[in-house]
Amino acid sequence: MEKITITLNVNNESHEVLVAPNDTLLEVLRDQLDFTGSKESCGEGVCGSCTVHMDGKPVRACLTLALEAENIEIKTVEGLANGDELSPLQQSFIDHGAVQCGFCTPGMLMSADALLNNNRQPDEATVRKAISGNICRCTGYAKIVHAVAHAHNPHQGCCDCNHKE
Amino acid sequence: MRLPRFEYLEPDDLTQALDMLASHKEDVKIIAGGTDLLVRMKNQLLTPAFVMSMKQLSGLSYIKNHDDTLTIGAKTTLADIVDSDDIQEGYTALAQAAERVGAETIQHHRGTISGNILQDTRCIHYNQSRFHRSGRQPCHKDGGKICYARDEGDRCYSTYQGDMAPALIALEAKVVLSKKDGKRTINLSDLFTSDGFHPFSIEPDELLTEIILPKQKNNSKSAYQRLSYRSAIDYPITSAGVMINSKAEKIKKARIVVGSMSRAPLFMVKASETLAEKSLTDIDAFKEAAGIAMDNAGTFAVHNAGSTLEYRCDMTFVMVLKALEQAAGIEK
Repeated sequence: MEKITITLNVNNESHEVLVAPNDTLLEVLRDQLDFTGSKESCGEGVCGSCTVHMDGKPVRACLTLALEAENIEIKTVEGLANGDELSPLQQSFIDHGAVQCGFCTPGMLMSADALLNNNRQPDEATVRKAISGNICRCTGYAKIVHAVAHAHNPHQGCCDCNHKE
Repeated sequence: MRLPRFEYLEPDDLTQALDMLASHKEDVKIIAGGTDLLVRMKNQLLTPAFVMSMKQLSGLSYIKNHDDTLTIGAKTTLADIVDSDDIQEGYTALAQAAERVGAETIQHHRGTISGNILQDTRCIHYNQSRFHRSGRQPCHKDGGKICYARDEGDRCYSTYQGDMAPALIALEAKVVLSKKDGKRTINLSDLFTSDGFHPFSIEPDELLTEIILPKQKNNSKSAYQRLSYRSAIDYPITSAGVMINSKAEKIKKARIVVGSMSRAPLFMVKASETLAEKSLTDIDAFKEAAGIAMDNAGTFAVHNAGSTLEYRCDMTFVMVLKALEQAAGIEK
């Protein structure tokens, strides 16, 4: 079993890495490239905390071989912000108090970001469906759903959307 | 959890892939989306010497509309099936089944139709980590001689819990199995052996390359219903795919297939036949058919999918009835 050198395109930057066939994308991202935003929790595709984008589509990094991710644009949670400026979705998570322990948050953000790229004004049911593959064990789904739904269209009746100014 | 070690094979085209299968046979496992295979490998249920990737075989990803058939490439993702207008309109059950497989972020963009069809049978006693399984004697599927799901079970009773196959069998799908020196086309229902240990009749050197759906004459409608604890994560505990072919409000042909109740999807011959020549609005006929389907499916089921048998049988009735009502256009 020999290791192979591949080029991974993560957050618009190319990285050359030496990977074994049985390395998952998540292991390479975290252990070799230090993109530790994506988390490993269950390791078998149930919890969603390792969600990243491959060519703009949300997938599980723990169930993707690193070798299968070559020549594909990968985006991790580190790629959401523009420098020090948070994306509207990230800011919305903070404003709505949608982060408790924070372990599920990177996965939630990536699933929600994929939804918002196609649909900027999702209703609550659409949001719930889009993040249905992500588990939050702090049971804070209501705040998260509001944060995603209101990320691009602040809601009149939502105190979290209006408390800023 | 680390994956066990293996050698990675990456064929550039179909010919090369079939050559690799012909030379490695049982030693090679095929990875398309990986959402089923890698979980099994992480649990050390499978430790193949070679894993062959379908990554470069982009020619196997298509949905084509022909005069009397619709063909789907083996590598077509579930998301492509959900998004296809041809499938949404003509083969509603298939689109509904694809949509209900797990969650979008888990399976839909990576998972493929052939991978979903060829997912191994499951059992709550077998699909566990190696640590969990190490605490007791291996079961039939694990290479031992015990069945934990059924008292004195002399063979493996693991349940086939795929979503696509029941819908596809209701739609009379055929599959193309290719190998180095040729290919064969069989009914999808013949792909299943009803043997929990070896659930599929596909040979180790064969690759499922295409799914063929016939175009139905007359007015044809289909529907798929499934029940699971948490729809985004859990496998169905019972499911039903139905197709109703009608002319002038009379049913000409019906096909009822019950999934997740046995080692293979069950085509309910008797229940389907009772619907012939019945009216599309005959709710009592639907209830009778659903009752027969429930009774017949109940004889195959064993207690290994995480819910009581009684509940799964009762809900089989509900799933079949709901699917029939939906296909007939009389759902409440």
